[in-house]
Amino acid sequence: MFDSLETSATALMAQRVRMDTIAGNVANINVTRDENGQISPYRRRFVVFATGADRGSSKPGVHVHKIELDSSPFRKVFDPGNPDAASDGYVSYPNVDMAIEQVNMLEASRAYEANVTMMETTKAMINATLRLIA
Amino acid sequence: MFIERLLNQGNAPVIEASVRFAAARHRLLAENIANVDTPGYVQRDLSTAKFQAALSDRVERREQSASYDSVDFDDLDSAVENPMSGALFHDRNNRSMEQLMSDNAKNALFHNMMIELLRRQFSQIETALKEHVG
Repeated sequence: MFDSLETSATALMAQRVRMDTIAGNVANINVTRDENGQISPYRRRFVVFATGADRGSSKPGVHVHKIELDSSPFRKVFDPGNPDAASDGYVSYPNVDMAIEQVNMLEASRAYEANVTMMETTKAMINATLRLIA
Repeated sequence: MFIERLLNQGNAPVIEASVRFAAARHRLLAENIANVDTPGYVQRDLSTAKFQAALSDRVERREQSASYDSVDFDDLDSAVENPMSGALFHDRNNRSMEQLMSDNAKNALFHNMMIELLRRQFSQIETALKEHVG
């Protein structure tokens, strides 16, 4: 019964990493330069889940298999006066779509809640079993 | 011997097997909910109907046999199966949060009911013993 708690905990961790990634995407929605100040728009990141408590683990659960870069094209805005504009006058902005991030965020938080509910149920069941002794 | 007889004669072994089944099913449900966003994950479950059929079969066999301990309930096991193999999402995961949550609630209630029955039985035995000694 206690391993059910661990299974749910791995899911909480995975969903939290997903939430962190979404927060990173939203925070960088208008970033046109990299950490060295070079013109290079931020690329949207997304998590890929895989089953199993950890990489190569046979224990039940879920883990973040990898964090991938979204290869879709950047958002182009015509702004010739912008210092980050290319020679054709277009500025490349990150390929982050606020609507997609919002939906992902809701999905992550609902999945998180579902796992918390599962943990509550597990706890209630363990408590009931422990009452057998008392 | 006396205690063993007391514990094995009634429906305590039947209840025990039910509790074990509910705990095993809970483990799978926790895993299913943890993997609700994992691409390619196929939901796994234990069939309550099959378990109950096997259980009632054992109970019948025990009733027909001469001694109470000739039929064992310990090895009663159910095969893991995939309940809704047809309904798949684009990521080849056949999740259904509503189904999972209702299964979870039903399973937890079943588990707690069985525990309560077992507890009553134990306290009944305790009462009987007290009367005997006192």
